[in-house]
Amino acid sequence: MRFRILFKLAARSVGRNARRSALTAAAMVLGLALLIFSRSLAEGAHEQWVTSAVRMGSGHVAIQEPSYLVSGKLEHRIGAKAYQRALDAVAAVAGDRVVAHAPRLTVTGLASSASSALPVRVEGVDPDGERIFSDLDEKVVDGRYLQPDDRLHAYIGVELARRLGLRVGSRFVLTAQSASGDVEGQLVRVAGIFKTAIPEMDEGLIHIPIETAREWLGTPGAITTHAVLLESSRDTDGVVEELQDRLAGDSDLRVLGWREASPELDSALRMDDYGDYVFHSILFAIVALAIMNAVMMSVLGRRREFGVLQALGLTGAETGWVVFGEGLFLTVASGAVGMALGFLFTWVFFRDGLDFSGIAESESAWASAGGIVDPVIVPIFHSSQVLLSLYFTLIIGTLASIYPAMRASKLDVAEAMKFDQ
Amino acid sequence: MSTSNGTLAVRTKDVWKIYPQEPNPVKAVRGVSLEIESGDFVAMAGPSGSGKTTVLNLLGGLTRPTEGSIWIGGDEITSMPDKALARLRLERIGFVFQAYNLLPVLSAMENAEFTLLLRGVPASERHERVRALFDEMGLEGLEDRFPGKLSGGQQQRVAVARAVVGEPALVLADEPTANLDSVASSALLDIMERLNREHGTTFVFSTHDPRVMARARRLITLVDGEISTDVRQNHETSGA
Repeated sequence: MRFRILFKLAARSVGRNARRSALTAAAMVLGLALLIFSRSLAEGAHEQWVTSAVRMGSGHVAIQEPSYLVSGKLEHRIGAKAYQRALDAVAAVAGDRVVAHAPRLTVTGLASSASSALPVRVEGVDPDGERIFSDLDEKVVDGRYLQPDDRLHAYIGVELARRLGLRVGSRFVLTAQSASGDVEGQLVRVAGIFKTAIPEMDEGLIHIPIETAREWLGTPGAITTHAVLLESSRDTDGVVEELQDRLAGDSDLRVLGWREASPELDSALRMDDYGDYVFHSILFAIVALAIMNAVMMSVLGRRREFGVLQALGLTGAETGWVVFGEGLFLTVASGAVGMALGFLFTWVFFRDGLDFSGIAESESAWASAGGIVDPVIVPIFHSSQVLLSLYFTLIIGTLASIYPAMRASKLDVAEAMKFDQ
Repeated sequence: MSTSNGTLAVRTKDVWKIYPQEPNPVKAVRGVSLEIESGDFVAMAGPSGSGKTTVLNLLGGLTRPTEGSIWIGGDEITSMPDKALARLRLERIGFVFQAYNLLPVLSAMENAEFTLLLRGVPASERHERVRALFDEMGLEGLEDRFPGKLSGGQQQRVAVARAVVGEPALVLADEPTANLDSVASSALLDIMERLNREHGTTFVFSTHDPRVMARARRLITLVDGEISTDVRQNHETSGA
């Protein structure tokens, strides 16, 4: 088989038939460009979603007592010495990837006011660390967030405040089971009220200073979770692995990635990914059919040309290789152009984000699984995703060229020579 | 003046070509038996639908007979595998088509050298041979033009150059002058005659044109797929 000559012929056919090649390649170019654009948007939305959820939750990486994830009980807390070991480990792997880390002492209990009592999740936090870690302080609608010298202050959700009839300055009682097993109460005063648009937070989350929580619950120096916020969610696996290596053999500590620590968020993202895959599969199918149709039309319209090639001495198989080669060149060229176009289009028009707020103005419409997606989605390019899109497009282009190549290889030469005469 | 050398370029024995078509199969070629000597200059005449093109396609191995046998230079091609048949076409047969059929994406030079390229002839030798032919055929200076930028007569001369550049033993030409005016037709026949005379190439061509028939040394007439007459015309071929 004279592959060099066959591919040279195919390359000339593609290069010297600019209009035909452009029309054939158009579907692939647009398909890949659209794919890169939609993937970068999906990646951007996911990253915002994950970041929002982990900042309000237990971070990209959470260090907990091994049984805490399942029990959620105070008895499965991290003691002061083990907490120091966790801090040392985080400090050792920090680098550029770790943006912030913060301790949490979390307990479920009851919030009671003069008018009502409601179940709540109380988080003892370090106010300064929490300001960097979480953006809950920015969600204030009345009053202020906690400050380092606060002692008996609480920062509560807007819906909880409404139901308990609380305002800034109001006092109410928190009740929970302490480390000793007794039910202990703690009187606190509302310092600020927040609104996140996430119902479960607005209805049931309370931040109080961690030292107040420790005293109330009888757990000096203890935490239930040390939450680590990373620069990107894609760093999670690497950091988890490093921390696990450093804390290997420490039976008091367990390192969890956000997917493990927040299974509801993981499930929601997987569902969203599934929707993306369906959408992209349909897009791929359309692109594949368009490519096959374009290549097929190009072959059917050139039967006589292929007949001449065989009359001059090419075998049927070699003629098929010429057609396949044309498809391959078109695919590679279209892949490169489509990728460049997708990047350029996304970067030029949407590098500052694509504003979807017109679709749903209510903030709650963008809240899901413990996080809020900003309606202004900033596209993110991940080389692996882009390469995957390119890889699939090349496969589709290649596969779509096989049938036309087979048709060309099985041409009846004498009939083809009559064609269109 | 005959350039035939007594050896056979083509031999067919009771060749039939039947196209299965409902309700009545089409018998395009009916029991054609003929022998063509090497170096002969043979015209096939006959009305439209008489089977001229089908016979040429059969001789060139572009289609296989329903019955009968065909030999090209002593090799029986009827049962030859496709790959071997393609090789035989490449090395021993040149084709000239009525509609020129130059490859539109290749220049005149690239079209003419195409069979040499397939045979693996080095570029310098290919170019040298094509340039010599182009000079001989009045195509000098047109090497880089694409088919769309050539006149019909020029395209057909490039097609003839492509057919003969590999020095095949046999050139099959299907109505090579059909799309040309009388001046271009005459010029093309001059070239074909000269190549036949000087290189000993066997030419078998189909035609409707009495002026073209008159220049053949042997005239085979087909009617309804059968050989009606087969006469040798004794005349001197005109010089180029």
